[in-house]
Amino acid sequence: MIIAEACRQVLKDVGVNPERTALEWASAAEAPRFVELITRYVSAVKSIGPLGKAEGENKEAVIGMHLKAGAKAASALKVRTALGKLAKDIKKSGDYSPGIISEGVTKKVFPAFREERLTQEVQICLSEIGPCKSADLSEKTGGGIKEIGKILETLSRKKMVKKQGSNWYGIGMGNQES
Amino acid sequence: MTAGDFNPHILGFFCHWCCYAAADAAGVSRYQYPPNVRVIRVMCTGRIDLRFILEAFGCGADGVFTGG
Repeated sequence: MIIAEACRQVLKDVGVNPERTALEWASAAEAPRFVELITRYVSAVKSIGPLGKAEGENKEAVIGMHLKAGAKAASALKVRTALGKLAKDIKKSGDYSPGIISEGVTKKVFPAFREERLTQEVQICLSEIGPCKSADLSEKTGGGIKEIGKILETLSRKKMVKKQGSNWYGIGMGNQES
Repeated sequence: MTAGDFNPHILGFFCHWCCYAAADAAGVSRYQYPPNVRVIRVMCTGRIDLRFILEAFGCGADGVFTGG
């Protein structure tokens, strides 16, 4: 349930309609129910339309990059710890209502994910496009100027990017795995 | 392309013990259902990770259905 809620918020962040995912239950003996669920879900996706085109014009490449960075960010230590901690807290409180889960994800998991995704995306941009101004990075990644500034600061402290004039350069990128 | 001839690529993550068996039973009893779902069997729905879903969309899936 936590993963499902996190998934919805994260998909919204990367620009994909969260209605494209579904989490449903059908027991082994409930074939008719399964058929009904699948039929309803497929018609729902059909009415939303193809990925990318339905989200907006020329969004396919942008969403592709967001998803690539998002997938990397989803396996980042920070995000995983946040998910684990939230699961532990909820188990402790014993309150599994959707409101509590949603609030927990918004407060704890989502910020970690967004920061991680933007970091990944800044690195992808710098290694694929080359030197960029921070305003360009903000536009490409969909992050605010302040957020990007903070991320660039952290990265430059780790000696992964450097600034020359108003351009940012990536250091030793393209051949490293996260 | 009209909505009528759009055939979505849907990825299904089915639990081995529940939804997968239900899908099997649906096949055996010859129920008709849309053929758009490509199934990946997992041993438990709890195995599914945020990354699986994001990568599925990254690979061009139009939807991800998780069946527990």
